Amino acid sequence: MDRINKAKLILWTILGIACAVAITRFIFGLGVTTNLTDNTPWGFWIGFDVMGGVALAAGGFVIASFNYIFGKKVLHPIARAAILTAFLGYIAVAIGLLFDLGLPWNIWHMIIYWNPHSPLFEVGWCVMLYLAVLTLEFTPVVLEKYPNIKLLSIIHGFLYKIRIPLVILGIMLSTLHQSSLGSLFLAMPYRLHPLWYSPIIPIIFFLSAICLGFMMVMLESMTSSYLYRKEQEINILEKIKKYASYMIIVYLLVRFCDIIIRGAGSFLFNISWGMTLFWIEILLSCIIPLVIFSIPIKKIKISILYFGAFIGVVGVVFNRLNVGGITHLNNLTEIGSFYFPSLMEFSISAGVVSVAMLVFFFFVENFKVWEEMPNINNSIKKSTRFDSFKVYLGTNKIINRTKFSFAFIIAFSLTFSFISGSEIHSSGFEKTPVTKARGADTLIIDGNRDGYGVVFAHENHKKQGFTCGYCHHMNKPDDKATGCYECHDDMYLTGEAFRHEWHSSSNGANINCFECHNKSESKGKNFKFSDKKAIQICKDCHNNIIPSDSRIKILKTYKTLSYTDAMHSLCIKCHENKLKSDALIKQSKPNLAQCSSCHKNFKSYKKVKKLFQDKKNNKWVVIPIFKQIEGNIVQ
Amino acid sequence: MEELLDIAKGPLFRFSFAIMILGLIRVFVLSLINGCEAKKKAKDKSIPKGYVRKMTFGFLFPLRAFRVKPVYAFVSILFHIGLLITPIFLFDHALLFQNSIGISWIDLTLSKQLADWLTILTIITGIILLLIRLSSKTSRFISRNQDYLWPLLLLIPFISGLVCAQFTVEPDVYNIFMLIHILSGCLIFILMPFTKIAHCILLPLSQWITARAWKFPPDAGEKVYIDLGKEGETL
Repeated sequence: MDRINKAKLILWTILGIACAVAITRFIFGLGVTTNLTDNTPWGFWIGFDVMGGVALAAGGFVIASFNYIFGKKVLHPIARAAILTAFLGYIAVAIGLLFDLGLPWNIWHMIIYWNPHSPLFEVGWCVMLYLAVLTLEFTPVVLEKYPNIKLLSIIHGFLYKIRIPLVILGIMLSTLHQSSLGSLFLAMPYRLHPLWYSPIIPIIFFLSAICLGFMMVMLESMTSSYLYRKEQEINILEKIKKYASYMIIVYLLVRFCDIIIRGAGSFLFNISWGMTLFWIEILLSCIIPLVIFSIPIKKIKISILYFGAFIGVVGVVFNRLNVGGITHLNNLTEIGSFYFPSLMEFSISAGVVSVAMLVFFFFVENFKVWEEMPNINNSIKKSTRFDSFKVYLGTNKIINRTKFSFAFIIAFSLTFSFISGSEIHSSGFEKTPVTKARGADTLIIDGNRDGYGVVFAHENHKKQGFTCGYCHHMNKPDDKATGCYECHDDMYLTGEAFRHEWHSSSNGANINCFECHNKSESKGKNFKFSDKKAIQICKDCHNNIIPSDSRIKILKTYKTLSYTDAMHSLCIKCHENKLKSDALIKQSKPNLAQCSSCHKNFKSYKKVKKLFQDKKNNKWVVIPIFKQIEGNIVQ
Repeated sequence: MEELLDIAKGPLFRFSFAIMILGLIRVFVLSLINGCEAKKKAKDKSIPKGYVRKMTFGFLFPLRAFRVKPVYAFVSILFHIGLLITPIFLFDHALLFQNSIGISWIDLTLSKQLADWLTILTIITGIILLLIRLSSKTSRFISRNQDYLWPLLLLIPFISGLVCAQFTVEPDVYNIFMLIHILSGCLIFILMPFTKIAHCILLPLSQWITARAWKFPPDAGEKVYIDLGKEGETL
């Protein structure tokens, strides 16, 4: 098997793993697949896929500007490959972003719903426009293949004519969004570690993107030469190596000057996790590549140069990861939760990269991306003797197709089986149990006991002529005026009024299934689950469960509303009706059905103690305002 | 034993089920692509639609076989009915799917008695089919190893399932048979796309490719010789 096919086999395997994880992510959500929390909402996907991906694709605009604008024609042979890399890189960014967005189907919103104050808005628009520019820049390569179709050749001619304006537009847009990815972090000075936060972080981002662009182009050139068994492009590598070293020196100077001028220099030698990350980053992204690039290319092996470029790329991507989440203060200090990406996050990112690489290989093999097409068919080994034990798979193309698809399905199925059942279900909602309202004639309703309650004049409502059953619309068996909290037992989640488990358990009611459910005679012993509606309902056994004066006449479901919903729907509905029907109340209490009539500052009640005091019985009872007004009128 | 059962019901089942679904799709797509490429190389590019339709329907409704070998055709049809309907529409399997994936066809399930009778029917017809294959000299000549092993493998889950459903209530025995039932089922799922059982999805395509093979140019055989590295040898 040839090198390129081995590489493709590995990429297809990674893709299989990523597809299985992707299904889990889109069906069961972010909580199941990632280690992200509300405290660290940005993690590996933003750091690597989006910010790293945009930086990795910087090779496109760097090479295009050196080739077309600065007239360095040496770089011409790799210009198309660099543009293709950038094009695929940006598509990978868009795909990677879809995984991280909570509502990925709303990604088009930024086109219509403008928010010009947001740096993300600028980044989004720039990336979108630059992707369009890259598409136009790369389209001629595809169109070249079909010179006989007239329409396509006309389009090709037009695109060829406007290539220079396109390149200029591309460079402009890249300059904008490479740096404005950094501007995102200007908004969070208290989140980022001082070694990374800087007022000139957009400039630092832009400079490091140029370094990364050069190193990425070197890496890509050397990798494809190795895989397709081409000769290494020594001349070009020599040039790029030189430019890359200059850029790294500039970047290093700017970075350290910035830290020292800002006064964050003390953090450089103050031993901590943040300092360690910083020095690792500088070592990887600047020092090792700089040392290797300073040696003339003829004195070292190509593999060492490869190592240098690779380490540099890893280092700059590590910088994006650090800024994007790892060095956020809630992650470094003990205040917040520690974040480390989960395996699933890694596999999705690896999958997105491998798709991009596979598409790159496809374009390289089928279109004229390089000056000469790679020869992939020269290495077919024909066995001289027919081996009947060896399965004959056909020509090279068919062998590849068979093997790659096999690797894909095996990887997919293995991953699918290893994502264990417990992980597939999320941890669910956090429960907020509800407690009883305090007080006697006046109640303080504060279900979750967080100190923010509502004062409710129970006695007074009784005096208004409401019967108990009107509000206490359902009783527990053998009970009268059951409290709200008994059935509406969670502050924000729906609950169950009916306890199936208790009714069927031998320790509880010990009732046979068929006393409530339908028994289907025709189906033998099979219990028909489809008859979910019980033939018996609560009322049939418990006589007084719904009082005769209840608001609710027929029970439609056993699900109960959450405590807040139950309270709001009961109070607001009644208050609204009262406002409509009673003219006096409408005059005296126009805000009766508004939030403020119940959700008052508790102290304000105490200030107007009059409201609470019933003079006759010396009890804490609220006197309705309109009665006071009446009293004033009488006086 | 229970842990083994959990592994078999959980990861192993998910693995083999995914392999089956994806593998069958893969085999179908690959043969479609390869068939299309074969069409490009063929001399006569028209698709023999009438022939393919006739062969496919002849395969699905073997009326001719009823005339030639009535017993074999009848038994084979009964075997296929039992083989497909029993596992898919068994109540317990539907419940398993409902609980693990959430897809439900519980309303369409067979009653327990009918399922048991169908299982017995499948076991008996499977054995008869194997005996017919063994008894005829012609079919012995064209049979490969997998042709003998497949009926036996297919019968294992049916027999163990029947034992679990009817003959035992003892936990140890039940668990052992249940494990055999699940493991053999998983093995069938895994092997399906890679052996002759793939005919369940390949049916019209295989007819098409066979029909296509007769349309190659006259010297196509020579190229096969060259590809196999047997140039110049006589048959």
